[in-house]
Amino acid sequence: MNTHPYLRAFLAGAFVPTLILPLLLLGSILIRVEFQIGPVERGLIFPMALVPSLWALWNMLWLYSHTRTHLTIGSHGAILPLLLMPCGAVLASCLGILAVGANEVVWFRSLHVSYALVAPMFLAALVAYYLAWKYVVGFLNRVLGIA
Amino acid sequence: MNAHEEDRMKQLLKQAMPPAGDAELERDRWPAMLQRLDAQPASPPWFDWALAGGLAVFAVVFPASIPVFLYYL
Repeated sequence: MNTHPYLRAFLAGAFVPTLILPLLLLGSILIRVEFQIGPVERGLIFPMALVPSLWALWNMLWLYSHTRTHLTIGSHGAILPLLLMPCGAVLASCLGILAVGANEVVWFRSLHVSYALVAPMFLAALVAYYLAWKYVVGFLNRVLGIA
Repeated sequence: MNAHEEDRMKQLLKQAMPPAGDAELERDRWPAMLQRLDAQPASPPWFDWALAGGLAVFAVVFPASIPVFLYYL
């Protein structure tokens, strides 16, 4: 199992978002059909096109760098939202699924999130990524023999 | 089984299982194997449980955050 460690890191990193995407797609179809909330399908471009690849590349970067940085897999994963959230917000804004207002941002033309909630949401995202990377990606890395 | 059949059997077994060659381990791997077998899977520390609980509470209190989280996953 000493061959192609970066390929295995790529597969382990892409595993979680790839597993969740069909559920996300199903959920978006149900929302679109049942509640007439739109445009949710545009919201799938970022999670489907970029997030799995970014997770995979981020895991490859951890494999390359962790002997020097001594970062744990959870801490390394918790840094990823710092990169993902601005990129996702810019793309969402360009696609018309995120509108920036004076007191709040509006997601999917229906979810109103006040600016006071943005910082707690960002912290919650860091926590979610920390836990997902520590327990799920870390487990997959151990199974594939790269951790 | 006579001697001829025994030789024939040995020959067939040798053909079926070719020698491993000169490959030798560079070190004894058995102690590491024992260590891995003895290692107990560590349970998550209390602060990870606390973080997971806080995350669940946040999702319940602010359900509007769930689609936004899914957008980033």
